Amino acid sequence: MIDWTGGRRLMLGALAGLGFGLTASAAQAELRLGALFPFSGELAVLGDESWRGLELAVEERNAAGGIRGEKIVLVRGDAVDNNQAVAEARRLISVNSVRAIFGTYSSARSQVASQVAELARIPYFEMGAVSDAITDRKFRYLFRTNPTARDMAARSIEMVTNAVAPGLSVEPKALRLAIIHEDSLYGTTVGRFQAALAREHGLNIVETLPYPANIVDMSSLILRLQAARADVVLQTSYQNDTVLFFRQAREANFRPRAIIGGGGGYSLRETMQAVGAEVIDGALNIDFTQFAINPAAAPGIETFVAAYRARYNMEPRSGHSLGNYVGAKVFLDAIAAAKSFSADDIRAAVAAVDVPDGQTAEGWGVKFGPDGQNERAKMMGMQWQDGRLVTVFPPNAAVSEMRLHR
Amino acid sequence: MDTFLQLVLNGLMLGGLFAIISVGLTLIFGIIRLVNFAHGELLMAGMYLTWIGTTKLGLHPYLLAPPLVLVLFVIGVAIQRFILQPLLEARDAHVQIFATVGLSTALINLALLLFGADLYATPAAHVRDPILFGPFRVVVGQLVMFGAGIAVVTGLHFFMERSFLGRAIRATAQHRAAAQLMGVDVNRIYMVTFGIGAACVGLAAALVAPVYPTSPTVGTYFVLTAFVVVVLGGMGSLHGAFIGALLIGLVDSLSGFYIAPDLKEVVIFGLFILILLLRPTGLFGLGRGSE
Repeated sequence: MIDWTGGRRLMLGALAGLGFGLTASAAQAELRLGALFPFSGELAVLGDESWRGLELAVEERNAAGGIRGEKIVLVRGDAVDNNQAVAEARRLISVNSVRAIFGTYSSARSQVASQVAELARIPYFEMGAVSDAITDRKFRYLFRTNPTARDMAARSIEMVTNAVAPGLSVEPKALRLAIIHEDSLYGTTVGRFQAALAREHGLNIVETLPYPANIVDMSSLILRLQAARADVVLQTSYQNDTVLFFRQAREANFRPRAIIGGGGGYSLRETMQAVGAEVIDGALNIDFTQFAINPAAAPGIETFVAAYRARYNMEPRSGHSLGNYVGAKVFLDAIAAAKSFSADDIRAAVAAVDVPDGQTAEGWGVKFGPDGQNERAKMMGMQWQDGRLVTVFPPNAAVSEMRLHR
Repeated sequence: MDTFLQLVLNGLMLGGLFAIISVGLTLIFGIIRLVNFAHGELLMAGMYLTWIGTTKLGLHPYLLAPPLVLVLFVIGVAIQRFILQPLLEARDAHVQIFATVGLSTALINLALLLFGADLYATPAAHVRDPILFGPFRVVVGQLVMFGAGIAVVTGLHFFMERSFLGRAIRATAQHRAAAQLMGVDVNRIYMVTFGIGAACVGLAAALVAPVYPTSPTVGTYFVLTAFVVVVLGGMGSLHGAFIGALLIGLVDSLSGFYIAPDLKEVVIFGLFILILLLRPTGLFGLGRGSE
């Protein structure tokens, strides 16, 4: 027993020495950057998909000579839960001495990890978390390229006024709008923004119904929508409640003129398969840029998909890799343009980024507001058509016409 | 008025779903005196098996009910024999309950490992089609569940009242030591009871899977309601559980419409507490006579 402990101490000592040696030699020609994503646990699949975007952007940069002759090395941190996200952010900063942290996919983990980075004065680059609260804190070293929950709500209302109403040849005000959402932070945030924006546009909201995401029966909710004669239903949901809504709406013969969903539950292939391609056909969806988009509106998307296929031997599993790739490229370009690798020089270079709309592979441009949020980030409007999720809005990004019943 | 009647109909059908899930739980609760927190996960396991049977073997989910009943009976017997029975001698009876909590967590994570977090939809020829009664609509699968609920409760009732094994089970529930003195092999009775309870879940899984998507956490969506149903009906009372389930289904449906979908749990649990205050043994509880 004593021998074993002694042996372990010895080994730890050796490891520590080894680590120190590595760190010392690495500092000379390597630019170390942190990559903080949920690599294990229930968010691991999309966490890993997000990481691939960052990895591709860095490999592309390294192939072109790195940044000022220095090779970029990504140090991974596993944000498996909130506590771990904090611990890993601390490790990346204090043990691995990274110059900046990239991440995070999950909003909750971004929220806590970015706080660690801010206190340590290390730039934190968010490329996937959607909660508005992250940038509402107005941190000095925090920047986010991707669109937020507010952008999701804005796009859905814009789609009602600019595409659905004209498509049905009615005034937007004549449409009877219903907002339904799961009642955790995600659904509530999007639902509230939708209600506020709809009121701003003078739209007629006939029902606003929150429900728990673990709901097992939506028949009463659907009866209420029927009783309110809703024409357009906006739903912010996860997967289970999306499937339940479409199944039970069909069973109750509830056919609104348009259903506009938000994010996760609506974009997944499994949802379409669970509901049935013919049942979900025509459903509209707001989400990050997906791959069925007009390449003219998202320059570089084809190169990205080709690079992804070559590197991972498969099709991208979701749009998360693309979003992180675009975000990472923006930040890497800014770091390359910075006077030095000091936090304040990097910060100044990022704050000066100005990419016009339609110039990235995501379809939007980049210009950071004083809170660090990319003011040009937008979500895209998609529609399920014949078993495929295709971009239909805005028109310049569309690959197919929006189809509306009647 | 049409809307109200449709809501009542929806509520009864939802009650049928709750009933078929709760029957097994009330049996285990009433006889072994065990709060089985892994009940929902047995349902989840059965639903995955249904999904495998329908997609890989191309069978109709209802055809899978008999084999599932058998498989889950065996699983139930094994759980009682190898996990719970060794704990019977533990100093504190709560150890068994914690064992079921552990089993539940283990099963959820096993499912996450095997199937991932995605939803699996069991193909269901015509099960999700609506049937029209004048202006009212009912889904085929729900009607089947309602009928199956009545059949299971009636069947189990006669089994418990008439058969020798059923009497032995009831004797064990009423007084374990006395039953043992009369020559009842209590351990065997517990294994059979847990087996029957799990077998009911097997039937439930085959009927629920085609109307409800399967995921690792699907059991947790139902199990809390199932506990309410069991306590409301009077622990261990089979027809009590059935009526309790219909009541919860009705309250769920009506409060979801007339109050708000996100407040229906407030109404259900408020009513639950109220009934317990007025009738602590549940609506059809055995009262103080049982152990």
